Amino acid sequence: MNLEVIENATCTFCGCVCDDIDLHHDGVRIHKAERACVLGTAWFLNHTAEKKYPVALVDGEEVSLDVAIETAATLLHAADMPLVYGMSNTTCEAQKECVALADLLGGLLDSHTSL
Amino acid sequence: MGGKVTCTLGEVKQRADFIIYWGGNPAECHPRHFTKYTIMQKSKFLPRGRKDRTMVLVDIRETKSAKAADIFLQVRPGKDFELITILRALIKDQPVRDEDIAETGLDRAAVEDLVRRMKGAKFGCMFFGMGLSMTRGKHMNSAALLTLAAEMNAFTKFVAMPMRGHGNVTGADVIMRWQTGYPFGISFNRGYPRYNPGEFSTVDVLVRGDCDAAFIIGADPGATMPQPAIDHLARIPTIVLDPHITHTSRLARVHITTAPQGISAPGTAYRMDELPMPLSPALKSPYPTDEEVVRRINEAIAKKPFWLPDGGPSPHQWTSQVNL
Repeated sequence: MNLEVIENATCTFCGCVCDDIDLHHDGVRIHKAERACVLGTAWFLNHTAEKKYPVALVDGEEVSLDVAIETAATLLHAADMPLVYGMSNTTCEAQKECVALADLLGGLLDSHTSL
Repeated sequence: MGGKVTCTLGEVKQRADFIIYWGGNPAECHPRHFTKYTIMQKSKFLPRGRKDRTMVLVDIRETKSAKAADIFLQVRPGKDFELITILRALIKDQPVRDEDIAETGLDRAAVEDLVRRMKGAKFGCMFFGMGLSMTRGKHMNSAALLTLAAEMNAFTKFVAMPMRGHGNVTGADVIMRWQTGYPFGISFNRGYPRYNPGEFSTVDVLVRGDCDAAFIIGADPGATMPQPAIDHLARIPTIVLDPHITHTSRLARVHITTAPQGISAPGTAYRMDELPMPLSPALKSPYPTDEEVVRRINEAIAKKPFWLPDGGPSPHQWTSQVNL
């Protein structure tokens, strides 16, 4: 099997954020995460590019992404005190959008740090 | 945490000859911390590596990390704040009663030996984990330890650093600090950011039932929070963005599957010492990224009337709209 290698990839499983991992992948699945620890290996090998879940669900029904985004926007906009929470397992770029979301809504903004 | 006396992991790797882990279990939770940064590395200043470094573990039980430690100090549960306060007194040669030391589960000889070693170090670093910051005393414990680190600088170089879990939780602190001035527990309900943990922190908000909608991203409170908080999430419209269908997704009105960060979503993540790392995703996901979905939700909300009762146009938005 011919595997492509991504050198010095970054692992985001724990706060160490190791940036020296060599990922051997076939485009669908990562087969080997060189230098990753036991936690990082599980993190890399358990995620695939397969479509395992529906793109979006509203009230348990499969919907398109557009419908889900519009529903989310409507629900959040209708709320008096919406909460934006989490942001641990996501990128800084997405976190910045989350801050803008809380600002736009006049809502609450919080992360795992407060637990 | 403004004014924190800290450094990067690179400095620890190069210079720290005295390491304390307090209320953390790096051997199992941050497996490469020892080998990459703290005790195993050889450097210009510590050419013999492990032999040039001393490692102390302070915890309530003997975890796997204790095997790697030179000294293991078993503190009585809930007595971390007392022990830190005793250390703060002893480094300044203030008198401490035997019974106060005994209350922490340690004896005077062990505590005085620790003080001697701390003062004798060239570069000391204290890493504190959730065993310190999430138990009785919580942020007061962290604040006490950071103060101890600051005060140690009267004698030698000393720093402290939190052992952050969850991938990019450090990034969340940094981004919120950058955009609002505060690291977490923020409310925008007056149109500008206010900070008040306890009032605006999520568990408290949910248990009191203060919020009437929730947007959850990169977290699974449905699996980790106390039951009254989960019950409230199920009562209100909850929206979840996650690469998996999580416990929270099951009680949510809306779930959107997104690409996992670093595996198929590009971007930046912060290491625990607040160094930003670029991500190099290996796989192409069939799902959109968190960034794209939240931006599209923001665009959809921006088209609706502003939230003030008169529905007037949106005034100045506090946070900047410049792209990263």
